[in-house]
Amino acid sequence: MNKVVVVIAALGAGAFGCGGGQEVSIEFAAKVGTEDFVCGQQYDNLGADDTSLVLSDFRFYVSGVELRNSDGDWVAVALDETNFQVEHVALLDFENGCNSQTGNEPTNTRVTGTVPEGTYDSVRFGMGVPFDLNHKNPATAPPPLNLTTMQWNWQGGYKFLRIDSGAFSMTDWRVHLGSTGCNGDPVSGGTTECSAPNVVVADNLGPFDPDTGTVVADFAALVAGAPLDVNQMMTPVGCMTGPTDMDCAPLLENLGLPFGGVPAPGAQSFFTAQ
Amino acid sequence: MKATLIGLGLVLFVAGCGSDAGNTGAPWVWNLPETIPEPRVPDDNPMTVEKVELGRFLFYDKRLSGNQTQSCAGCHRQELAFTDGLPLAEGSTGQLTPRSSMSLANAGYQASLTWANEVLVRLEQQALVPMFGEEPVELGLANLEDELLQRMRDDERYPEMFAAAFPDEDDPISVDSITKALASFQRQLTSFGSKVDRWADGDQTALNQSEQRGLALFFGGTNAAGIDDAFECFHCHGGFLYSQSSDDAFQVFDQKFFMNNGLYSLDEDGSYPAGNEGIFDMSGDPADKGKFKPPSLRNVAVTAPYMHDGSLATLDDVIDHYARGGTLTESGPNAGDGFENPNKSSFLNGFEITEQEREDLKAFLNALTDGDFLNDPAFSDPFAQ
Repeated sequence: MNKVVVVIAALGAGAFGCGGGQEVSIEFAAKVGTEDFVCGQQYDNLGADDTSLVLSDFRFYVSGVELRNSDGDWVAVALDETNFQVEHVALLDFENGCNSQTGNEPTNTRVTGTVPEGTYDSVRFGMGVPFDLNHKNPATAPPPLNLTTMQWNWQGGYKFLRIDSGAFSMTDWRVHLGSTGCNGDPVSGGTTECSAPNVVVADNLGPFDPDTGTVVADFAALVAGAPLDVNQMMTPVGCMTGPTDMDCAPLLENLGLPFGGVPAPGAQSFFTAQ
Repeated sequence: MKATLIGLGLVLFVAGCGSDAGNTGAPWVWNLPETIPEPRVPDDNPMTVEKVELGRFLFYDKRLSGNQTQSCAGCHRQELAFTDGLPLAEGSTGQLTPRSSMSLANAGYQASLTWANEVLVRLEQQALVPMFGEEPVELGLANLEDELLQRMRDDERYPEMFAAAFPDEDDPISVDSITKALASFQRQLTSFGSKVDRWADGDQTALNQSEQRGLALFFGGTNAAGIDDAFECFHCHGGFLYSQSSDDAFQVFDQKFFMNNGLYSLDEDGSYPAGNEGIFDMSGDPADKGKFKPPSLRNVAVTAPYMHDGSLATLDDVIDHYARGGTLTESGPNAGDGFENPNKSSFLNGFEITEQEREDLKAFLNALTDGDFLNDPAFSDPFAQ
């Protein structure tokens, strides 16, 4: 087993031209306030209205994961190729198929790869699939970009973040974040740009020890201040990143993203390093 | 000698390349009038007879829905030019989509697909939306991709058909193959055999007097009130599709095209009913409120009801709408005067129309029906035979 890991790591390092280096495994956790996310569990006192929700999905893509070395320089983590990682993108998957309509059993709670030998004291990354991978043919994409429940075909690209209560229902609260306002070119067949890329920049996590630390994604922080009991008329319950769905405004603010022409008022507060 | 070797190397490389898959098989021969260009065919999905045949089976197969109750044809019936006759399309689980099923006649020539979407520019890409979309559920296949492929593998017919359509693929039964076969089938749903086409081709007997008068009014003729180009139809519904949103194999420009036609105006921003405001739903730009793709008017007589939300029942209602320069909704949640919509096309200022002109215009629109297309056995349900 160890041998396999070493071989994969070596291949990954070789592919990215890093040579040598040390293995790194960055642990992630999905939480709701102080509680761990457990697929199918109810959580209370959420958002501005102290809403209760039974959460059945909690998945997100991260990309461009970097660690800060002792010189203060940011160094890219060359990701291992696994079912949850391809090129510079990884899927963190905390649902275990408790909702069989949308989920599946495998989970993934860490990003693994290699970095040059050294000591590291902070981490940063983007939450989302970067443009170059977001708009390739999803029907031929490798794992983890081949999950149809993470594809967002009508907008083009992927759901960067998916947290659901319920499934395939027009009445259950859900948040699906992804690029919006994308434009296609009928001549080339490609996607040319997206007016709202919506990749979350998590570069404010502070000190982080990759050997012992955990990056926490907190649903309670995501919906802090959001009135979850009310829904804007004629919009999906929750937020599907519709540019005029004001239910999205507090969530995108907490993600440090601009919304409705208003620049992001501050940095993201969904992720913390512990 | 060296050049020969390099040449041979190139040939070997190309032949062994995965992206070349499907190049083998019986090449497709387009059956098009001389005046009509071939549709654009993506390099990675060349047309073959085998792919079109596979796509035809898949299009009519209810196993392409999660609960196996609905096929693509459920919302796209040949006799209605591949629409469904309903105001709003209903998915396999009963959820209504916010929009009306569009005709698939000449689907391969659309600069963009569906009513209002700037990112969907390939049929292969668009097929993923009804298959795997969740808001709303259409065919309801999200999370069921493995089961879908197993259904195909377990079938008596499909393994051989997929292998014939995708002979270069090690594993020909894939989601990618399904989208490519469906796209190939749709790409050859060409419809250019109406009476108006025969007239344009020089057959002086193809259109009667009323249809000819209607044609003239459609294309800028002077109406009885003495106004030149009174009806302004062709500005948005011109070109060989009778839609300015068109593409073909020789087109070098992006001709996506979206217009506001004053169907609603809920407020001073020109809002449409929320969640169904055209490309604004994706762009968020207030100037995009109410902007939809002008659909092709080929076969328009059989594609009622009309508009993106099916809110106009008949061609008379459509003519009333344009004659008024927008629809007035007097009460209810959508109250407002579409005539006042600030995003409305500047061509739509209303017009006077006599009863005779109305009949002539409708006669012309009816003459855009391609009966051969609606009855062509090659496009019909193969499971019914």
